[in-house]
Amino acid sequence: MSELRLRVSGSADLTPTVRRFALTDPRGAALPAYEPGAHVVITTPAGHKRSYSLVEPGGARPREYVVCVRRDPGGRGGSASMHDDVAVGTELPVSAPVNRFPLHPSPKYLFIAGGIGITPVRAMVRRLRAQGRSGVRVLYLTRSAGDTPFLREFGGSDDTVHHSDEHGLFDLWPHLAEPDDDVRVYCCGPAPLMQAVRTLTAHWRASRIHMEPFAADHTSISAPFKAVWAPDGREVDVPAHLSLLDALRRDGIPVESSCEAGVCGTCRLALLSGEVEHHDSVLTEDERLTSVVACVSRAVSPEVVVGPRDHLRKDLS
Amino acid sequence: MRTAGVVRELFRYPVKGLSAQPLDQAVLEPGGGIPHDRTFAFARPDGGYRPGTRKGLSKQEFFALVSDHRLSGLDTSFDVETDVLVTRVAGHEVLEADLGTEEGIATALRFFARVLDLPAGVLPVLAREPGRRFTDASVAGDDSMNWVSVVNLASVRDLEARTGAAVDPKRFRANVLVDGLPAWSELDMIGEEFDLGGVRVRAVHQTKRCAATEVGPGAGRRDLPVVTLLNRTYGHQLMGIYVEVLTAGTVEKGAEVVV
Repeated sequence: MSELRLRVSGSADLTPTVRRFALTDPRGAALPAYEPGAHVVITTPAGHKRSYSLVEPGGARPREYVVCVRRDPGGRGGSASMHDDVAVGTELPVSAPVNRFPLHPSPKYLFIAGGIGITPVRAMVRRLRAQGRSGVRVLYLTRSAGDTPFLREFGGSDDTVHHSDEHGLFDLWPHLAEPDDDVRVYCCGPAPLMQAVRTLTAHWRASRIHMEPFAADHTSISAPFKAVWAPDGREVDVPAHLSLLDALRRDGIPVESSCEAGVCGTCRLALLSGEVEHHDSVLTEDERLTSVVACVSRAVSPEVVVGPRDHLRKDLS
Repeated sequence: MRTAGVVRELFRYPVKGLSAQPLDQAVLEPGGGIPHDRTFAFARPDGGYRPGTRKGLSKQEFFALVSDHRLSGLDTSFDVETDVLVTRVAGHEVLEADLGTEEGIATALRFFARVLDLPAGVLPVLAREPGRRFTDASVAGDDSMNWVSVVNLASVRDLEARTGAAVDPKRFRANVLVDGLPAWSELDMIGEEFDLGGVRVRAVHQTKRCAATEVGPGAGRRDLPVVTLLNRTYGHQLMGIYVEVLTAGTVEKGAEVVV
């Protein structure tokens, strides 16, 4: 991941606990492109590496990256360092943007944001509404009006802003009871909200439900990638919610399997190109150079080329 | 040596991959299984199942938890008297379908096509074959199709104690949960006969576990690497056994298990 060194060109308190930081190139150059849903990893002055969603819609040549950081008194110090140690003029190491929460085309959208989870959602909603899109509904759940960054931006007829201090827990069910294949649901917020949305969308298509991945359970982080099936060159999209094994099978490529938990090695494939994050407990380090266990391991490069085990390169295996 | 345990819980799973249904008792026949256990399944439309298929098929031919963990997020109940399948999400009813009618089947298939996220126009196939059940063991033959699955709660507790993980025994989707026996003693019983709540049974097979056990009951996702935990802790992937029913009788919750 390439790293930038950016200067804080502006900062402002949006609420008593949320501060906005604008980051620009010290020489005024345009920054690497990004799309809504992207995040950057900032190294705080105290040395923490923290992921922050970019709150502006972005584009091809953004002039600045804007993040909003909520001070978390119970956290491990990353947000405190951003609040206490960063001022206008501070230079910070910042990664190039990465997008694990991309905005997919859809006839309609339902955004569900809890607290500081509004940050990627705001970028998406601003992008869509700037295009004049209708059918972009927002549920924005916070504790109180004073705790609500960007409150004034969500006062439209398609927006519901709910403050739990005044009105108690929000009932999501009326918004999710009827599954609609024409709606994509994007959710970002604290773990209990994400769990509630996951539970209440059990009868929806999984492909319509999008959860901000780094806020989610870390064991379930997965990004989409493309697999090329070496015997016939077929390109198979592996979405975040399917394993490589399931995606290949869905495309009619027969791969034998047994445990599907990365233990038995039955679904081992030849890895001919691309980088893989191995999650199995069966391959040796040497074998991992040329093999991938399809039920659990995923690509970290955008594309991998895989084939049946008999495609294993003899000079390497 | 005579060891006494107890039948702690009884379950059937009328539809493969869907919710467990607790039972107070199960009426068993020699060579038979738990009544109404896995007598329905949703088959893959491009797979090996066709209506009238009279041989056991691999679990990969069906939609099941190992491949489709979201199914566990649905709370389903199937009334074996009326054939009505009711499905709830967080207590809210989202499907009521009479699987005894064409219309009800069509409604259920459309519902599960969405849950399973099948491409537009593709529906699963409702598999139901009189006298057959879609158990994982059915692939080995018609005798094994009726095997009753038994999990020893002491073994599950041993796994918990050694790994520090909370392991809900319902992950293993057994028909019978027994307690009071030494941990892992069931794996040494293969070939032996014993008394399961008044019914004579023979332990016939150790149960090798797959990733279906990683799916949390009710969770709708894989949330604990059970197969990996077993493998790292014991060097095997076993939990529970299958038994073959030898005599007729009624097993009740709370009945004694004599080994």
